[in-house]
Amino acid sequence: MRWWWQLKNRDVDLARELRSDLELEEEEQRERGVPPEEATYAAHRAFGNESLIREQTREAWGWTWLEQLLQDARYALRQLRKTPGFTATAVLTLALGIGANAAIFTLVDAFMMRNLPVTDPKTLVRLGDRSDCCVNGGAIEDGDYSLFSTEIYERMKKYAPEFEQLAAMQAGFPYRPLIARRDGDQENARSVMGEFVSGNYFETFGLKPAAGRLLTGSDDVKGAPMVAVMSYAAWRRDYAADQAVIGSTFWINTKAVSLVGVAPDRFFGDRLSTTPPDFYFPLETHAVISNAAYVHDPDTSWLYMIGRVKPGTQLGPLQEKVSGLVRNWMKETNVFATEPDKSLPEKTHVALTPGGAGIQDLREQYESNLQLLMGASLLVLLIACANVANLLLVRGMQRKLEISLRATLGAARNRIVRQLLTESVVLAGLGGIAGLAVAYLGAQMLLKLAFPGADAITIDAHPSIAVLGFACGLSLLTGILFGVAPAWMASQTNPAGTLKSGGRGTTTGASVLQRGLVVLQAALSLVLLVGAGLFTQSLTKLQATDLKLNSKNRYIAHINPQGAGYIPSELEAFYRTIEQRFHELPGISKVGICNYTPMEENNWSNGVQVQGQPYTDKGASFIKANAEYFDSVGTHVLIGRGIGPQDVSAAHTIAVVNQTFVKDFFRKGENPIGRHFGSPAPPEASGDYEIVGVVEDTVYTTVRWKDHRMYFVPITQRPPSVKRPIEQDLSLYAGALVLETQWPVSNMEQLTRKTLAEINPNLAVVKFETFDQQIADRFNHDRLIARLTAMFGGLALLLATIGLYGVTAYTVARRTSEIGIRMALGARPVGVIAMVMRGAMGQTILGLAIGIPGALLCARLAQSQLYEIRSVNVAVMLVAILVLALSSLLAGVIPARIAAATEPAQTLRAE
Amino acid sequence: MSSMAKTQERTGLLQGTLDMLILRTLLCGPAHGHQIGKHIQRTTNDFLQMQHGSLYPALHRIERRGWIVSKWETAPDRNREFKYYRLTEKGKKQLVIEESKWKQMAEAVARVMWPAAEES
Repeated sequence: MRWWWQLKNRDVDLARELRSDLELEEEEQRERGVPPEEATYAAHRAFGNESLIREQTREAWGWTWLEQLLQDARYALRQLRKTPGFTATAVLTLALGIGANAAIFTLVDAFMMRNLPVTDPKTLVRLGDRSDCCVNGGAIEDGDYSLFSTEIYERMKKYAPEFEQLAAMQAGFPYRPLIARRDGDQENARSVMGEFVSGNYFETFGLKPAAGRLLTGSDDVKGAPMVAVMSYAAWRRDYAADQAVIGSTFWINTKAVSLVGVAPDRFFGDRLSTTPPDFYFPLETHAVISNAAYVHDPDTSWLYMIGRVKPGTQLGPLQEKVSGLVRNWMKETNVFATEPDKSLPEKTHVALTPGGAGIQDLREQYESNLQLLMGASLLVLLIACANVANLLLVRGMQRKLEISLRATLGAARNRIVRQLLTESVVLAGLGGIAGLAVAYLGAQMLLKLAFPGADAITIDAHPSIAVLGFACGLSLLTGILFGVAPAWMASQTNPAGTLKSGGRGTTTGASVLQRGLVVLQAALSLVLLVGAGLFTQSLTKLQATDLKLNSKNRYIAHINPQGAGYIPSELEAFYRTIEQRFHELPGISKVGICNYTPMEENNWSNGVQVQGQPYTDKGASFIKANAEYFDSVGTHVLIGRGIGPQDVSAAHTIAVVNQTFVKDFFRKGENPIGRHFGSPAPPEASGDYEIVGVVEDTVYTTVRWKDHRMYFVPITQRPPSVKRPIEQDLSLYAGALVLETQWPVSNMEQLTRKTLAEINPNLAVVKFETFDQQIADRFNHDRLIARLTAMFGGLALLLATIGLYGVTAYTVARRTSEIGIRMALGARPVGVIAMVMRGAMGQTILGLAIGIPGALLCARLAQSQLYEIRSVNVAVMLVAILVLALSSLLAGVIPARIAAATEPAQTLRAE
Repeated sequence: MSSMAKTQERTGLLQGTLDMLILRTLLCGPAHGHQIGKHIQRTTNDFLQMQHGSLYPALHRIERRGWIVSKWETAPDRNREFKYYRLTEKGKKQLVIEESKWKQMAEAVARVMWPAAEES
């Protein structure tokens, strides 16, 4: 506001200057002998018009335009205050339109455009272009590498000096929670997120510790003392930012690790996640903490890489070089030899991609949804703009008289146009400010809807500068766009004509432009309503799927026996203990133990070869389970038997397969019982499992996975072809307990935690949910989209109804005298209502005529995101049409009744 | 509405001439607006009637260009403060430029108006 202060100061100064000179003139007149009262007049005469001089001098300052602008803005605000109904409607409409857009854009910005909070994110380069979670052995099928082994990472560091820094990070940490407990504390062991990263991880990102120190290269060597860095969020949340935590010992998966420092505030890791890491550990410690042989196994790819290239490095040649390094290494280690695809060596490559935003897992997941929502919110904005345009048009016409009067009194045409434009821009500005509030709340709500129950969302939902700019730009554009039409119309006014007719000249009612806008609104709302209907239908269909399981009185506790310190050879006894202890609890009827449960995100799969048949390149997912597992999840055995208590590690290895497995691997009518199958390699593996039973197709991972081939094997059995020592066999670890009770048990979670802690204090519960909750979680994504499209549809409907009401009411007001005459001549109120309604419904019907093909087109565009919906359902379309028709009926009836209530005598007299 | 119609300023002088006269007046020493106006009027034997509506805008325009600076000072004879304008170095240079421009203009006009005078 400096310029304003300067301007004021100058004004005061000028007034003082003129006054002092004027007084001097007066004195001089007196000194010349002019009588005092005469002198004053004479001085003024000699001086001329003082305010004119001031005005002209001000112009010399070059500030006039600004002053006029302020004046226009002040005047506009006064005008808007005078018509609170109009202002409130317009601002609210704009706020909803702009707010919905800005909210979606906030998420788009957070998911797709924002960089990590690290030093100079633009110079970061990622090796690879997709999320190949989480651990892979052998060659990658299409040769596009994003996931690497530790050995390739070491080679890159050595042979690609173009990278100033090159860091590696565990790809699948979100799926491998750890168990942590601070030494000496009375606290219980708890499940935490930990990410294994290279020693130069923090240095690569250019980060400074919030406390203590960060990891360094010397931490990441074999035999170095085991250390960890805690995330700032975890430090605040769990330890109230206590400095004493630094230097203390933590038991991570029962191994002692000393905490050396805290990562900086706001740093949430290398990717957006709902489960950001609480701890960072050097790669080297992975072998000990996770008891897995990933780190030094050349055939295990488990790392992502992000680096910073030296200034001036050409990325094209570097990409070639990096790809070449991977190719050579693959050749040397003979990985290609066992691959059937002989073109693989040429196909093998690494794409260098911008690494400033980190690993973009979430982006891949939500990109298409966000695009869809952006489309929907843009339609809402269009409708809102049409509404505001209509309101401004109506207002412009109502003010025709006022504007004519001003023009007659000598106001320059461009000044009037500017005044009207200022008014709409001020209106849009107010709408934009209100829209920001809507955007802020909206974005928070969207995040809550998108990630229910996530307590540590790293997504910053605060509108950024970009979002602020977006909202301001949008509102300004709306204001200018829709200020132009009334302003143009005003400038075309013939003042004399308007003044003569007293502002009630033509009685044609709303203009073609206005009607056109209403038709457009109706059409757009129909598109959104149909969209909402389709996504709701899609969700209903998904949820109505028969999952072939029973979730009643079932609870699922995810556990981490590996983190609790159990070694594979102890597991059989451990599982017996669990079964026994949980059966001792009152009301427990079944205790299932397995690696993965139905309707959860993760899944293991393997190639399958049926003994005596050629390998067909088909695989199947597998579940490792105990005897009571099928009963606990409610899967029915159709043929033969399920897994029994006799299927212990020492017994003959068996498998139970599902119906799809039978359908895909055996001919029709062929009896699968007694047949053998196994992995395609080594050759003898195809005899590994004997099929003893067939179960129905219970849904695993997602309803969308059709024809999901699955087999189930006893959790502690190891197939004869597997030669690896038992202590390296991670597949023996259970991931979940499924507890079935005879009646609902409200404190089941407490009971479970207590029972597990009694077995082993390190047995923390990773996640506890009822089976129903777990299933509902899997529909979160679809529910979010259905809810949001419904919300946008409702918003569109509301705005369109307001628009139609506005135009109809305006028409009625304009035609009051005409209606009065009609009624004086004998028109019945019913006839008047019908006349008004005809106009209103006509626009809606025209809107429908445009909207129906539009909706069909949009449905086709959104088809990939819908579940088993190929075209627009007739019922959905009919409901949408009906809803739109009903609301336009409502919007028309109110003005129509006002019209019918017209008292002919009164209107005619008013004329 | 405040500016329904703009009153065009009429200097009665060629564009820029008033600026030159003001600069020349200030060459004799600092002066306030009233003095400058009176000086020009007196020196031209009241031939140039000073319009205040031209004088003040011209002063402020010249000041914005940096040719003169202003300061509130007490007048020695009046015992009251006036806004005194003072010529800057930039203003002095500008005066030379304006003067030579004016000379060229005057000579050019003279050649058109009295061609014989030049021949003789």
